[in-house]
Amino acid sequence: MQISSGGATHVGMVRTNNEDCFRIVQPLNLFVLADGMGGEAHGEVASALAVETVVKHCMKGQEDPGAPLSGQTQPGLAPKSQRLLSAVHLANQMVFESAEEHPEQQGMGATMTAAWIDGQQLTIAHVGDSRLYLLRTGQLQQLTSDHSLVAEQVRRGILTVSEAEQSNLQSVLLRALGTQPEVEVDIEQVALFPGDVLLLCSDGLTRMVTEPEIAGTLQAEPDPQRAAEKLVERANEGGGIDNVSVIVVSIRPQPKGWFSWLRKGAHKSAGGNGSAGGS
Amino acid sequence: MAKLSLMFEERIVKEVPVGGRPVKIGRSPDNDLVVDNLAVSNDHARVYFDSGRLVVEDRGSLNGTFVNDLRVERATLHDGDSIWIGKHHIKVDATGDAPLPYESARKTTAGAINETMVLDTKARREMLQQAAAMGERTQFAAGRIKVPTIIVLAGKTDAKEYVLTNRLTTIGKSAMATIKLRGWFKPQMAAQINQRDDGYYIGSGDRVPVVNGVTIPGPTKLDDGDLVEVCGVRLNFIVRE
Repeated sequence: MQISSGGATHVGMVRTNNEDCFRIVQPLNLFVLADGMGGEAHGEVASALAVETVVKHCMKGQEDPGAPLSGQTQPGLAPKSQRLLSAVHLANQMVFESAEEHPEQQGMGATMTAAWIDGQQLTIAHVGDSRLYLLRTGQLQQLTSDHSLVAEQVRRGILTVSEAEQSNLQSVLLRALGTQPEVEVDIEQVALFPGDVLLLCSDGLTRMVTEPEIAGTLQAEPDPQRAAEKLVERANEGGGIDNVSVIVVSIRPQPKGWFSWLRKGAHKSAGGNGSAGGS
Repeated sequence: MAKLSLMFEERIVKEVPVGGRPVKIGRSPDNDLVVDNLAVSNDHARVYFDSGRLVVEDRGSLNGTFVNDLRVERATLHDGDSIWIGKHHIKVDATGDAPLPYESARKTTAGAINETMVLDTKARREMLQQAAAMGERTQFAAGRIKVPTIIVLAGKTDAKEYVLTNRLTTIGKSAMATIKLRGWFKPQMAAQINQRDDGYYIGSGDRVPVVNGVTIPGPTKLDDGDLVEVCGVRLNFIVRE
């Protein structure tokens, strides 16, 4: 399968600093997004540290699959899934320790949504209320659970989905990186099919743009970079109350025959897109 | 966490929790508890925590604020107290009265908590318990674990029963599918089931599934006992406890 991707981030229309951070590591097909929190500029410190830690740990694992793992391992996971899980545990530890060492950083934390594609298999590691969506056959499906109070109340049948959307407690998280010495990380392995589109986003997008609008934008714009930029624009048009970050990953069938062989050659000489990052 | 219940003739009209931010009570719509009655001033009263005590403060209202029949300008509230404003009264639930550490809540202007924050485990437990006590629709009693399961009634699949453990369950011929279909002309990915916060939704893949005899128009929520047909395979969705 052919994978192409793009990302965009914006401070939004209300806030003065951008606490979101994302990285696209194209050679690894690794996509990492974090939304920081904590007063002053410390949300930025937390999200950048979390993203950096995850990326470095996965790159190290790529070079040396025997490199030590962090945190609890989970039986039955593919090696790359195990590595990604370990990377998020390590990121939690790094942010927590940094906050312990620097009193002014106390209370900082970050959400984390990371996706790693290996062949046909996607692994998602997730903590917090950033989201990963899969657009498949026109349907936008959320593959992560929000670790927020209102989402938990919906899961327990206390609130309906629309009540949760109206709630003024939407920003209250039950889990985040860096606030406790240990964190429970959601890990999910999903089979990908040609035509799938993945979307990783911070809550600045999902609070401002409805799911049908997101699906419509992704379907109308096949180029991942332009789709990411359009989604960010839409969030800002909707009010942009929060920082917004978006990564779009498009999965296409591998072209077959001599034509693809020619195209491959052309790609090689043109070089890749490079990696994008932002904060 | 403390909460206020706005009552009218013994019915609860609205409930609000009291956290680090004052609860504004009055007639104008920007209040947290809106009492739509001409006897109530636009900005009538506030309830908030002051050094760990729950306090009500009259905002110079025309007709006054009463706590248990006594007109007050400012008074400490206790569990079970009633605040009277016009014909309405507000019941005070001061149990577990420590306010949540909403440092950032004070910065907010619009009533919503805009800054993201994390509840520590204890605060989280209390808040969920309060919320559960508030909600009459608590279907999932504590201790009962629901296990959504697909049972194969007819057709060729790699197993007869599947417990849905993932956010996404795929049905198809693909080696990567959760529910693997067997047979020459089966599609790689026939249909998919997405777990959402409020339940399991079946959606189309290369085929459009039929649920209880009806071809689904779009992602459709599955209920306990539903019958699903796709690619000649008949499945039964059940939720075990």
